[in-house]
Amino acid sequence: MPPVLDMRDISKSFGGTLALSRFSLVLEPGRIHALVGENGAGKSTLIKTMTGIYQPDSGEILVDGQPVTFPGTAAAQRAGIAAIYQEPMVFPDLSVAENIFISHQNRPRLINWSKLNDEAAAMIARLGVSLDPIRAAAELTLAEQQTVEIARAISLNARILIMDEPSASLSDHEVKRLFGIARSLRDQGVAVLYISHRLEEIFALADTVTVMRDGKHISTKPVAEVTQASMIAEMVGRDMAGRFAREPSKNTGVTLLKVSNLAKTGTFRDVSFTVNKGEIVCFSGLVGARRTDVGLALFGVAPADAGTVEIAGQPVTITSPNQAQSLGIAYVSEDRRKLGLALTEGISANITLPMLGKYAGAFGWLDRMRELADAQAFRQQLNIRAANLTVPVGTLSGGNQQKVMLAKWLNTRPRLLIVDEPTRGIDVGAKAEVHQILRTLAAEGVAIIIISSDLPEVLSLADRILVMREGRIVGEFAGDTATDESVMRLAVAAPDTVTGVA
Amino acid sequence: MTALRSWEGLLFAVLILIYAVNAWNSPVFLTVGNQINMFQLSVEKIIVALVMTFVIINGEIDLSIASVMGLAACAFGWMVQQGAPAGGAVAIALAIGFLCGAFNALFIVGFGIPSLVVTLATMIAFRGFARVLVEDRGISDFPDWFDALGQKGLIGPVPLAMVLFAVFAVLAYLILQRTAFGRKVYFIGANRAVAEFSGLEVRAVKARIFIASGVISALAGLLFAARVGAVRGDIANGFELDVITMVLLGGVSIFGGTGTMSGTILAILIVLALRNGMALENITGHIQTGVLGILLILSVMVPIIRETGTRLIARVR
Amino acid sequence: MRVPLGTLRILVLLAVFVATGLFFASQIDGYLNARLFNRISGSVAVIALIAVGQAFVVLTRNIDLSIGSVVGGTAYFTGGILIAYPGLPPMLVPFLAMAIGAVFGAANGFLVARFRLPSIIVTLATLAIFRSILVQSSDGSSITTDRLPPWLTEFATMNAFTVGDLQIRWIVVISVLVVLTAHIFLTRFRAGRTFFAIGSNPDAAAFAGIDAGRTIFLAFVISGALAGLAGFMFLSRFGNITVVAGLGLELKSVGAVVVGGVNIFGGSGNVLGVLIGAALIDLIDTSLVRWALVSAFWREAVLGLLILLAVAADTVLMRRLLRRKPTGGAP
Repeated sequence: MPPVLDMRDISKSFGGTLALSRFSLVLEPGRIHALVGENGAGKSTLIKTMTGIYQPDSGEILVDGQPVTFPGTAAAQRAGIAAIYQEPMVFPDLSVAENIFISHQNRPRLINWSKLNDEAAAMIARLGVSLDPIRAAAELTLAEQQTVEIARAISLNARILIMDEPSASLSDHEVKRLFGIARSLRDQGVAVLYISHRLEEIFALADTVTVMRDGKHISTKPVAEVTQASMIAEMVGRDMAGRFAREPSKNTGVTLLKVSNLAKTGTFRDVSFTVNKGEIVCFSGLVGARRTDVGLALFGVAPADAGTVEIAGQPVTITSPNQAQSLGIAYVSEDRRKLGLALTEGISANITLPMLGKYAGAFGWLDRMRELADAQAFRQQLNIRAANLTVPVGTLSGGNQQKVMLAKWLNTRPRLLIVDEPTRGIDVGAKAEVHQILRTLAAEGVAIIIISSDLPEVLSLADRILVMREGRIVGEFAGDTATDESVMRLAVAAPDTVTGVA
Repeated sequence: MTALRSWEGLLFAVLILIYAVNAWNSPVFLTVGNQINMFQLSVEKIIVALVMTFVIINGEIDLSIASVMGLAACAFGWMVQQGAPAGGAVAIALAIGFLCGAFNALFIVGFGIPSLVVTLATMIAFRGFARVLVEDRGISDFPDWFDALGQKGLIGPVPLAMVLFAVFAVLAYLILQRTAFGRKVYFIGANRAVAEFSGLEVRAVKARIFIASGVISALAGLLFAARVGAVRGDIANGFELDVITMVLLGGVSIFGGTGTMSGTILAILIVLALRNGMALENITGHIQTGVLGILLILSVMVPIIRETGTRLIARVR
Repeated sequence: MRVPLGTLRILVLLAVFVATGLFFASQIDGYLNARLFNRISGSVAVIALIAVGQAFVVLTRNIDLSIGSVVGGTAYFTGGILIAYPGLPPMLVPFLAMAIGAVFGAANGFLVARFRLPSIIVTLATLAIFRSILVQSSDGSSITTDRLPPWLTEFATMNAFTVGDLQIRWIVVISVLVVLTAHIFLTRFRAGRTFFAIGSNPDAAAFAGIDAGRTIFLAFVISGALAGLAGFMFLSRFGNITVVAGLGLELKSVGAVVVGGVNIFGGSGNVLGVLIGAALIDLIDTSLVRWALVSAFWREAVLGLLILLAVAADTVLMRRLLRRKPTGGAP
């Protein structure tokens, strides 16, 4: 069969970073093609290029052998390319049938509801499932909403269906149903591109698998010819030159944090670990492994339902960020824009925000000189590059914003510092600086938890590595003996295939 | 910061211009009597504009202010009519303002319904309560000392209203720009999630602001009653337009987080001078309000205008 | 058999309406009679029109606070034109009024859709601006009944047909026809569904290729045009039009829409519910006047609290509905 989609040597860069580098991919009708890669390997950029959200810098895209360009999503849709995501995009107030047919421009102006419902039911039946077409989308489960999205794509004659982590928040039963849908689409001649972190799903579902790494195409092979181990090796394979050097541990051996059987329904469970003063513990795992949820529970943003937490031997129940702060916990969020900084406000105001009480005198009068002095100290200590301390944080580079965020939380003098993705989206120089700051803090006796998807970073910083997968800690490594592959194998493998880990 | 400063600079220039044009048009404009009169006729609105600045920077809106003014004034009038001592009636009217603010806060902070919707409903309801109290009558015959507060000079020719405004303006400026509370107001408006994440008591701050809005509005209603010497059910109707215009014209973003008290104060002066100038030209109240409406639309377009301006400047550079 | 949420809302609303009627019937002697129907139906006809227009706007997650001024403005301008040209064919006049209203609505729609300004601020401003245009052009003088052509003032009380003592006036027939047309448009036409789609999920709407700006603009034009038609009826009913004509009608329209079960945050609602909402509000208004126990001046307070109650109940219900939605989640 001739390929329905042929992407040749596609490159796309953002401000100097190459997200896709001469990437090629061929999709054939009636086949399920899996795409795997680490977080940040360039998968989302690839999908956005295929669906017309991004335009490639170079390379060409052929549909049915004809070169095409997608100036926008509509053009990609017309070419028969559709994508569904982890979070379905539906109209909650509209019925299933309407959700399916809303963007059909060629239907009659007058709606014949019974005909519409019949056609919707038929469309859903094609997917091998049943769903009442008159129900409102708001009443459906996530999996059912996904089904509606798939039906919408198919009703628009999609011949290429991209499924981006569709199973990430589904239950086992729902995943089985999703597989059934994917298979029946395959049998009807649709080319399916299936993206998942769960490697066992790829063996259960796909015909072909492509591995990508750092925006590059690594391999494309029939699933029968690969093993989990070979895929993992290709996903992480990296020259040693890219690794940061390790430094001796500052672990004091004095336990600061002890977490036992922490759980939150539908999110994580059986989470037990300790962190010592001066120790750097890294949480490794894939997106959706619920590492951030554990961090947010410890910081009181989304408190856990069960389990115990002890800080310096005292049992505590943390229910708000305010309380977490007073216990000496600080949390540097992965999401600078949404949770980290108020971008329109100045540097010093952002830094002193959690500690306003310290600067407020009678009637809440702020000692601005003292604020500026403290901010200035951090500016020097962390090497924050900015014209002055009152410029809006939004005008700084990503690396400097990250340092302001660190300064904000270091100013609370934490005993336990949780850092989520400490160096995401910042340049190499700033990255090394941030690593050095974290090491210095450990040397000062701060207990540090780092949540990071960046394996080289984890391997360079961690005294211990805890690997999470689907809401549970599935293994632990000593930082100096772990390797890319050993960590990744645990992070992606099905729990029942992992036994007797380190 | 420089952009903000330049907006205030622009406002200042506009203010000077309006003063110049008014002075040119009417010899009366710059007289002390007219200047005092100008403040006195609008003191209710401008006091509320100060607290509205907090509300909008905090990312909310309070459409019920004019109705709270009306309700407090009518409640006062009704109590005096029933024979209550005026001093006690003033205190109870202020307490009603407090309750109105707390009622808004209950729905906004407690139930999480957007302030736009809540205060639109309470704007109707509070006005309704005012009408229940005074029906279609007018109530006057207040004690002389009460009327004097609104009509006579307190310090020389300067009436209580102007003194209050001056004091409140300074207080509002200091609280918003110099205290921890003011800092919290900005951060909550700029990014509520960041504020919560940083341990700020977001709900308490919002509740306090709405309650302050209620109390100050009630005070403004009383000042209005004292100035006019009478109350009616429709007292202060439609004032929210003036107040919101003053704040937005002052450079406060309707989406919260940005703006300054000095911007609001400059905008207040502009609106006052503009209205006074029109009044001296014998332009009717309805038309003045229409001009304010245009001004309001222009001020919500401020971010768009500013953005275009910055882009143009960048291109020139 | 599961009852859809929308149908349930209308049933509840009807029950509340009937209960309110029965309550007042028990309180006021000789309450339920043809005169009550004749009186209420006339004013509901006007409010239902503006409420339906408001519903289009609210469905798209916006609000139109300028309606009162549009009604006043069109009543005034239409009256003025009729005084200048008394020979205009009567059939043409309602359309003329709708065109005038549509121009006002288009101004709102342009500002909101083109510059993405918050509609509450824009229409709060145009509420004042439209009113001042009216004042400016009227120069303070009023339209009076005796200067209008006689057919116009007779029209308001002209019966289309009678059922026993019940007089069904033409304005009621027109208003009901408008409601039904709007209902059919919103429920059976693809173009009508886009109003729901935009309010329900603007991002998904953009993704589905729906032009939000055009639809929002259209919603304001419809709102303006229906307010214009209401202005024509207003003129016909009252004859005397001063510069304060229509003051406060915008709040009644918002009330009818919200009480009628349209989600104030857009995306869902039914104009049949809006009609009942308008009737309910007017029933309470009219009945309070005749109820000895409580003063008629309670009506605004009741309206405000009713809106708050409807919104709060809706918010709580929607939240419960969303919470019911099971999620897969991690094992």
